[in-house]
Formats: sequence, C-alpha cells, structure tokens
Amino acid sequence: MDQTLIPSSSSLSSPILETLGEEILRILYPVSFCMLLVVLLVSALSSPVTSSISFSSIASLAYSESSSDSFWSKLSGAFLNSLLFVVSITLLTFLLVLLFYFRCTPCLKSYMAFSSFIVLFFLGGETSLLLLSRFALPLDAFSFLLLLLNFSVIGILSISLAKVPILLTQGYLVVIGVFVAYWFTLLPEWTTWSLLISMALYDLAAVLLPVGPLRLLVEMAISRDEEIPALVYEARPVDPPPCFRRRLWRERRDSFSISDVSHRPVNPPQETRVEIRVQESGEGSARPELETPLMLSQNARRQEAMEGVEGIGLGISGAIKLGLGDFIFYSVLVGRAALYDFMTVYACYLAIVAGLGLTLLLLSFYRKALPALPVSIALGVLFYLLTRELLEAFVLQCSINLLMF
Amino acid sequence: MERGREPDADVESQTVGSSNRLIRSADTSGGGGTAGSGHSAVWPTVDGALGLSEERSLEYARSFFLRGFCLLPFLWAVNCFYFWPVLRNRSCTSFDLIRPYVVRSAICFLIFIILLSSWVLTFALGGERLFGPVWKELVMYNVANKLGLPGWM
Repeated sequence: MDQTLIPSSSSLSSPILETLGEEILRILYPVSFCMLLVVLLVSALSSPVTSSISFSSIASLAYSESSSDSFWSKLSGAFLNSLLFVVSITLLTFLLVLLFYFRCTPCLKSYMAFSSFIVLFFLGGETSLLLLSRFALPLDAFSFLLLLLNFSVIGILSISLAKVPILLTQGYLVVIGVFVAYWFTLLPEWTTWSLLISMALYDLAAVLLPVGPLRLLVEMAISRDEEIPALVYEARPVDPPPCFRRRLWRERRDSFSISDVSHRPVNPPQETRVEIRVQESGEGSARPELETPLMLSQNARRQEAMEGVEGIGLGISGAIKLGLGDFIFYSVLVGRAALYDFMTVYACYLAIVAGLGLTLLLLSFYRKALPALPVSIALGVLFYLLTRELLEAFVLQCSINLLMF
Repeated sequence: MERGREPDADVESQTVGSSNRLIRSADTSGGGGTAGSGHSAVWPTVDGALGLSEERSLEYARSFFLRGFCLLPFLWAVNCFYFWPVLRNRSCTSFDLIRPYVVRSAICFLIFIILLSSWVLTFALGGERLFGPVWKELVMYNVANKLGLPGWM
C-alpha cells in the first residue's frame, strides 16, 4: 500500500483499519479471560453446600432474599437492594469528584492501594481457601500465608506504582476483577440481576448527563490535563504504521475523554473502583506521542498513572482503556449465567462481546467518553432470558429426540 | 502487524548496524513498545520503549533486590522478568551496573523456589506418616475451618 506523508481523511482510514482490529482484540482478550476465570470459579465452587455462605454486603442490606418469597416481594426486595447500592455508589462517586476537585491526589492513591490490598488479600485469600477446601490440596499454613502476602503486596505495587511490567499490571487488574466479580455472584439471584440493570442505567446517566459525576470527573481531568487516579485497564498501544513514525504533528488530546469513575463497595470496608476508559486517540490525527520513543514513554507513563475511570475512551498513546468496573459487571453477568447452565454462558458471552464491539463502534463515531455497560448488559440480560425461556426448551427437545447434537 | 514491523527493521538494519541484533532481541524478548525506532539502542526493560530508561532502571533494580529480603521473594522474580533484556544481552556494556542486581535476584529466587518446593512437596506427600498429628494442625483447610474463615466475609 502506498502510504504518503500527507494526511487526509481518506488516507487515514486504512491505517485505522490496520490497527483497529488489533486494538479491539487487545481489549477483548482480557475481558474474555476475566469472564472465563469467573465461570471456572463459579462452576468449581458452587454447590448446594457452599451456597450457605452468607454474603452480607451493602448490596443486600435492604432485603435478604429467600427462595420461599413470592414473586412480587422478591422483585421489590431486589429493587430496593439495587436502589440502595446505586445511591451509595453515586454518593461515593461524588465524594471522589470532590476529592479530585480539591486535588487530594495522595488521598485517592492511598485509597486505591488500600482497596486493592483488601481485595487481593481478603477476597483472594477467601477464594483460594475455598478452592483449597474444595480440591483438598494439602498446603500448609505458613507457605499459604507467605504466598498470599507476596501476591497482595506485589499486586499493590503493580497497581499503584507504574514501574512494573505492563503485563503484570494488566494481569493484576484482571485478577482483581475476577475476585470482585466472583463475590458479586454470591448475591441472591434477583438482587444480582436488578443490580446489573440499575448499574447499567446509572452508568448511562452518570456519563452522559451533564450533571453526572463521571462526566464532571472527565471534564475536570481534561481541563486540568491530569489523569484520574483510578483502576483502569489499558491495553498496550499498537505500533502505528511506519509512515506515522517520523511525523511530529498535531495537537494532542483533542478527542480524549475519560469516563466515569465508580466505586463499588463490596463490603462496607471494601471498595474497588471500576472504571473503563476507552479513549480513542484519533486515528493518526492525535498520535504525535508515538513519533519518538521518548515521547511515547513519557506519555505512556503518564497514562499508567491513570487508574480506575469508567467508560471507554482512547488513551493518549492510542491504547484503548477499559475501566475495571466494566470487567467486573460483565463477569458478574456471565458468572450468574453460569450458575444456571453453560448454554446461557455461551449466549451471554456472545451478547457481551457484541455489546462491547458496538460500544467501540459508537466510540469511534462520537469521540467522547461513553459508558461501556448499558449496551452489553442490555444485550446480555436479553439473551439470558431468551436462552433460558426459549432456547433451552428447544435444545432439550432436539437432544431428547436425537434430532441434533 | 507485520507490515508495521518489517520496514522498520529494514531501516534499522541499514542505519544501526550491529545493534540491530540487539534491537531485535530486545524487541522479541518482551514485545511491546517501539523498541526499534532507531532513536536509541536497547531498552533495559521488557516493556521496551514503554518501560524505564536506563538511568532509572538502576534504582528500581536495586530497590527490588533489597526489598525482596523483606519476606517478598517474588519481587526477585518480578525483577528478573522486568529486566529480562539485561540478562539476555551479556554483550551490551551499558547494562553493567544493572546486571549484578538482576543476576543476584535470579539466584536468590532460584534458591527460594528450591526451598519452598521441597518444603511443600514434603508436606504434601509426607502427610501424616511423616509428621504425625501435627500435620492435621498445619494443613490450611483445617486451620481455615478452625478459625471459621470461609464464612468470614
């Protein structure tokens, strides 16, 4: 392909297409991996015995479901639970906006380190204890403690410090997402589904409404040219085609928007911030940072300092960033589907991936922060219901009559 | 992404010469970043151009090595993984300050792994025959059940 040095909108389209597929894949692999791990955990650890673990958290304060309740009481109870949860998340996000406004960055950073330590040490420890008991692995207490301590301390380092291998940071973000998502699947069923739906609606409101906390956060970060300290997964930037390498052009950050930051209180002492930031760095038009390695490393380092923002946006270096909250809620949906049957898992996985692709498409279209939850969760819930009600009966009858499979 | 890499490698081989092999090896050892951009030589970290520069990587190598002694042996593993190009390119002289720390981290981590795996295997395979009733006291799932941990959260 003859690549000229003169940028024009038409000649920009093919370099975009060259890298777009790779960029989407680089965000799709960790999301799929996170979902796979949660499905494995759920199927390994779920049994009538372990469901007796009561998971009391802020998400089930108002109403604790029991299977003997009537349909309407379950529905209203779940609705109350999710309302409470969304209200608490909104308050926390406004608190975050306030802290960011007053530039209390050490506050935010220490909070993030603390919450990731809680998730890795306590949630991770509990999950591995459950796994050890389930598979009866004879590990002794000292080595377990040593390994867990190492695991959590290095996790904190890799999330808060930017000076560790990118692979390690990405791996730890996925692992944190897996643990939080697994613990969310322990909630009662109706509460989980209404929680997912309300979080999708909240995400939509918080990112797109002018008064939404996440939008405020994004605009503040852009106006100050700072990074929001939050947990965000950043895909490694794809190398641009060689014709872009030696061109030092343009204004930077013309189309960056960071999406919202959300806190997810799992237990009253715990919170994790899940944020998706997929920023599209303008296809070629905003890639001056890729021109020289020095600029790239500077900007990449600045970007690594950014954590936990929700929504999809394009990073400065052209990498797509997805906040950890989206990881978590996608995995919660798939994990909850796994508690029913594997057919619903496949259907929900495809729905979520389709929703993610659609959101990325909209992102390239609108070039501003977009909530990544609504489309995927809507499709996922729809597919779950359709599969459970319609597809399962069909497949079952076909199999019984030896028609297919 | 081959199209993006090959012309670049050709340019590098023409202009940089003998360091091309180093750039290639640094490029392939970790994959990431634009390590072959021609503006600099080999990057010391596995992230390539997205990682640390040589000056700063010395302090990090040293701090990872020293802090590994605070009951954090996996920091040594992180050190080795992060500075993998330093271990691989023995001919590059600019890494001579970093290399001792990375090599010592690798040795210490190997020793730790040997000790840990021998203890864990002895514990797992020996079982009660070797340890007696103490085994039941030490094994993790019993300790967890005794402390009531699985239902704690």
